[in-house]
Amino acid sequence: MTNITTWARVKSPWVLHFNSGACNGCDIEVVALLTPKYDVERFGVKLEPSPRHADVLLTTGCVTEQCAERLKRIYEQMPQPKFVVAIGACACAGGVFAGNYSVVGGVDKVIPVNAYIPGCPPRPEAIIDGVVKLLNSLQQPAANKEEVKTDGKQ
Amino acid sequence: MIDYLWLVFRVLVFPGFTFLLFLTMFCDWIERKIEARMQNRMGPSFTGPSGILQPLADFIKLLTKEEITPNDSRKYIFRFAPLFAFSVLVFALCFLPIDGTSVIPDASFGGDLIFVMALISVANFLLFLSGWSSSNPYSSIGAARVLTQFLGYDIPLFLLALAPAFLAGSLTIATIVDSQWIPFVVLAPWAFVLFIITMQAELEKDPFDIPHAESEVVAGHETEYSGGKLAFLKFARDVQIVFGSSLITVLFLGGANGPVFFGLQALWGTLWFVLKVVVIIIISEYMTVLFARLRIDQIVKANWKFMLPLSVLSLLLTIGLAVWVYPMV
Repeated sequence: MTNITTWARVKSPWVLHFNSGACNGCDIEVVALLTPKYDVERFGVKLEPSPRHADVLLTTGCVTEQCAERLKRIYEQMPQPKFVVAIGACACAGGVFAGNYSVVGGVDKVIPVNAYIPGCPPRPEAIIDGVVKLLNSLQQPAANKEEVKTDGKQ
Repeated sequence: MIDYLWLVFRVLVFPGFTFLLFLTMFCDWIERKIEARMQNRMGPSFTGPSGILQPLADFIKLLTKEEITPNDSRKYIFRFAPLFAFSVLVFALCFLPIDGTSVIPDASFGGDLIFVMALISVANFLLFLSGWSSSNPYSSIGAARVLTQFLGYDIPLFLLALAPAFLAGSLTIATIVDSQWIPFVVLAPWAFVLFIITMQAELEKDPFDIPHAESEVVAGHETEYSGGKLAFLKFARDVQIVFGSSLITVLFLGGANGPVFFGLQALWGTLWFVLKVVVIIIISEYMTVLFARLRIDQIVKANWKFMLPLSVLSLLLTIGLAVWVYPMV
């Protein structure tokens, strides 16, 4: 049963894109993911309009003081299990805006982050790689259990 | 005893629930694949062979997610509207002769076409309730748009569905299917074209998909739904699409009629029925991808100014032909 659930979760991650004060560089790379050249629908990724439908929150931008509250609320509106991916140098640690008076600096200061994808902006391949690594980490505990089992038998 | 087992088998397994479930998922996959190919993309590719299991993965994932009920929502309506919409549509599908006879044996009665059309209205109204009960501005706008659109397009849809009824001389679906030794699409092509366009509006597909226009109202009436309830809401929509295509198949393309080469007639009937449904779905998906979305005022205007007069004209033409011209041929 858990295997089927994990399979379904890995095969159908629906994403929500949130811009918390980015310069639009990373956002264009996120949009490039969905367009014909990279087409992440191959992996079952769909861009959803509502946070209630999403599994993965793709955040870009350095998180301005005004946006922090909204980012937190959007995160709280998503149903469990939920994952957050910080895309770009700004979302990872504030980037060039770190230390600015109006900026929190980094998504992980507001909400928990599961995967960091650095770059200014990161290439679409890098974003796909990050999301795939995040999803593969879901399968990890099950794989470990199997290893333990085989060890026990030996 | 055997009769009861046969009934249970028919309703739950073969032309019934399980079969319809997989048919719906198959049609959903075809839609996504066509949409992707027309946009020069690959579409779902790695979930099963050519991504054919993608709708199943989506469904299971949504079922296992957390379900959130907003505090201000009307809780009971919010919870039950998606389930009822889903079950009403599956129930309506059970009246269509998928393998030659209706899914529930002997369910066919005089005038069941009207009953089935009424069930679509009920399902649409339940979708409206699902948005109305979730106490979200976007849901409310989406729900109001569902109602505006469906009030307009229900009348032409019904008038157009009367054309095959007049050609067959009966309001019973089984009789309409049986009398199509020439499919009605040949005898009344104008009604067929108008019916497909109206069905597109009834199913909220693209030229008419304002109830959940993503760039305007987030996800329309689905905005507040998550987890299992969302799974059933999305599935209800897919079942609605299969139901619409099946209705067109039954009324205009001769349902399960087709050549039987060897073996069981029921299996060949099912094969022809599914093939015809898939053809209709491909046509409607082409329309969805090719046309841009209309505004709500344009849709209401298009309905009352064009679709309603055209459907009345089409009905008059069909009646004239059915009464005076075709009996002579």
